[in-house]
Amino acid sequence: MRFRSLRLALAVLLAGAAIGASAAGAEAVRQSIAARIEDQLKAAGADAATAAPAEASPQAAATPPAAGPTPIERGKVLWVRKFKDGRTLASCYPNGGRRVAASYPLYDSRLKRVVTLEMSINQCLKVHREALLEPTDPQTMGALTAYLRSLSDGRKVAVRVPAAAESHFEQGRRLYFTRFGQRNFACASCHVQNAGRIYADQALSAAVGQATRWPFIRANQAFTLQAQIRDCLDRMGAAPFGAGSDEMNDLEYFLTYLSLGLPLKPNTDRGQTTVKN
Amino acid sequence: MRLAPGLLAALAAAIAPHAHAQKDQGLEIFIRPDKGYCIACHQVPAQAGPVTRSNVGPALAGARMRELGADRLRELLRDPTRARADTIMPPFGRHHILDDREIDRVTEYLLALP
Repeated sequence: MRFRSLRLALAVLLAGAAIGASAAGAEAVRQSIAARIEDQLKAAGADAATAAPAEASPQAAATPPAAGPTPIERGKVLWVRKFKDGRTLASCYPNGGRRVAASYPLYDSRLKRVVTLEMSINQCLKVHREALLEPTDPQTMGALTAYLRSLSDGRKVAVRVPAAAESHFEQGRRLYFTRFGQRNFACASCHVQNAGRIYADQALSAAVGQATRWPFIRANQAFTLQAQIRDCLDRMGAAPFGAGSDEMNDLEYFLTYLSLGLPLKPNTDRGQTTVKN
Repeated sequence: MRLAPGLLAALAAAIAPHAHAQKDQGLEIFIRPDKGYCIACHQVPAQAGPVTRSNVGPALAGARMRELGADRLRELLRDPTRARADTIMPPFGRHHILDDREIDRVTEYLLALP
């Protein structure tokens, strides 16, 4: 018993040190964007709750649940499937994958890259000589992340930005604020500058909190954050970055750090509609 | 001379549907997601188009549109960033989202708003 509480204390201490270890620059950026969004949401006459697309979507509540196994159930089947060497995906994660999702994306100092949850699944598959998955495929990777993130439901985002990773965070910030494509929108045009306002009859979600709500379920399919960002870029009239590319991973890294300390709310149902705005 | 009123009426009948069609074209460009999709951000008076809650851009009213005038409206549609650098409104003309003819149709639609 004493051993367990000692371990717990050590974990708390480490987590505290980990959050403290985030680069000062990243933390200052996060706080200034959070303040901007708070002002904007007040101006838009909406609070953070109404800005969440899941709650704002009127059709989400009205649609009946789709038939067949849910993405979480499908994901669990993939999660427990035995590899050719007899291991499973669970063997690659501490606690068999419980309570790990909130730490992703993380910076791998050996690879010098940002590793997303999807990338970590593919790293595991690669180590065990299994076929890799397409990072935004709703059937496989979407379902797997739906299950894996459901094991961290309610955990607070605990992403760190160590000094060595600050350039990746900065690249993500730059991409989020850069105007792209034919329509000349930046991600921030909608999700910072106009958060809480109504676009195409839906409330624009605020940048802070966005990264806690994926994957989301639409028409019984799980869509990852990068699938959503690619969809946004497409609507902006820009050629989307490849899923799993460094640009996309840096964007996800930046965006997730903005939600530091907020609880994960994976697998919210956004109804049946598959029509793009 | 006696023919003239009849001729005028025929002419008016020929032109009217054309003008009407052009106005409809303006509305269509205004609401189509692959065209202007102005309705995503702007509201228009209920009798002039679909009723929405859009509020990213200001609600559009005919009086204000006519105050700006056709030339200024066309210029704003072509490249609104010239009037306000930080606007998020897309440069419909400069980025070839709409061609000149389509911008004219939207301008006519805006000027005719109640």
